[in-house]
Amino acid sequence: MTGLTPEQRTEIVERHLRDHGHVDSERVDAVLAAAEHGAGDGPSPALGARIVARAWSDPDFRRRLLADAVAAVADDHPQSVPLRVLEDTPEVHHVVVCTLCSCYPGGILGDPPAWYKSFEYRSRVVREPRAVLAEFGMVLGDDVELRVHDSTAEQRYLVLPLRPAGTDGFTEDRLAALVTRNSMIGTGRPLAPGDGEA
Amino acid sequence: MDGAHDMGGMHGFGPVPVGAEAVFHEPWERRVRALLGPVMGSTTIDRFRSTIEQMPPADYLASSYFERWLWALERLTEEQGLLEGAERPPAVVRPSASAPLGHTRFRPGDRVRVRNAVTPGHTRVPRYLRLHQGDVERVACAWPDPGESAATGIYGRPEPVYTVRFAGDDLFGPGADHVLLADLGERDLEAA
Repeated sequence: MTGLTPEQRTEIVERHLRDHGHVDSERVDAVLAAAEHGAGDGPSPALGARIVARAWSDPDFRRRLLADAVAAVADDHPQSVPLRVLEDTPEVHHVVVCTLCSCYPGGILGDPPAWYKSFEYRSRVVREPRAVLAEFGMVLGDDVELRVHDSTAEQRYLVLPLRPAGTDGFTEDRLAALVTRNSMIGTGRPLAPGDGEA
Repeated sequence: MDGAHDMGGMHGFGPVPVGAEAVFHEPWERRVRALLGPVMGSTTIDRFRSTIEQMPPADYLASSYFERWLWALERLTEEQGLLEGAERPPAVVRPSASAPLGHTRFRPGDRVRVRNAVTPGHTRVPRYLRLHQGDVERVACAWPDPGESAATGIYGRPEPVYTVRFAGDDLFGPGADHVLLADLGERDLEAA
């Protein structure tokens, strides 16, 4: 490889692209500044949490989300690739990975965290998922079937976790506050009532 | 291709850095992602992945996530002529997230075997699944073949993609009591 730092190499590419009119560096700056100041209504764990909370509250939405997730969210959040929502039950738990790169339900959750892209997670969760989940502090009963989804094609996966006990009558906003990012990947559970509320 | 990127099932990487949350660690990483925007409009995600996969294995394993993206950015901008002032190539038409399926060769419940059709080109069939048998769980979607999309830089005709269910102990030995599901294109499967 070259003796240049990644920062220098990035500057070289940007200079060439700018000089030839392919990018406007001020526009790049503006896009990056906007991204840093919150994604608004765009993809983020908060969006995923709202979708999960709605599925917990609205049986018709839940049915449509599980049958055809792209169609169920199309009005507010059009997806560029196929999306499948995986329904956890007391008997079945799902966990999502991309062993070949870092495919992630970015159209809902935004950018993946560093651990999701790590060699450790990518290599191990398909071989020894129970050990990996234990590292996240999650122990599943032996009687729970564990399904690991390797995102090897363009279909993306989002886990619909189990609704926590003791949340009867909760509004969607209160429920959404319990939904963690990891619970929508399968490496965690939603918070219990009281844990996640201000 | 059998590259270092194909790491599903490898031993030896150690504990998952479960607290590692940050998407970006250095300012240049954000710029790399932003600069990829105009480049990716003129090629396929498969060609991007395939370019990264051509990193020498020792470099791949020694590089950070966005260093691998930078490697691809440098090569794709050069390949598209953008560093020498060429016109930007035409935009690539992306498939729909809900492309119609058409005829499907397999149905849920069918027993299938993963073909061992690896070439030096791009594939989305991980090594750990090749020649193993599984059951079609469902027809997942229709999407163009990633090997062709990587080779040509454009998307072809959508083909059926199946979610196939494999037994953990068949793939990884006794003690692996989980189920593994992967999405595989019709041309990567044969009836078992």
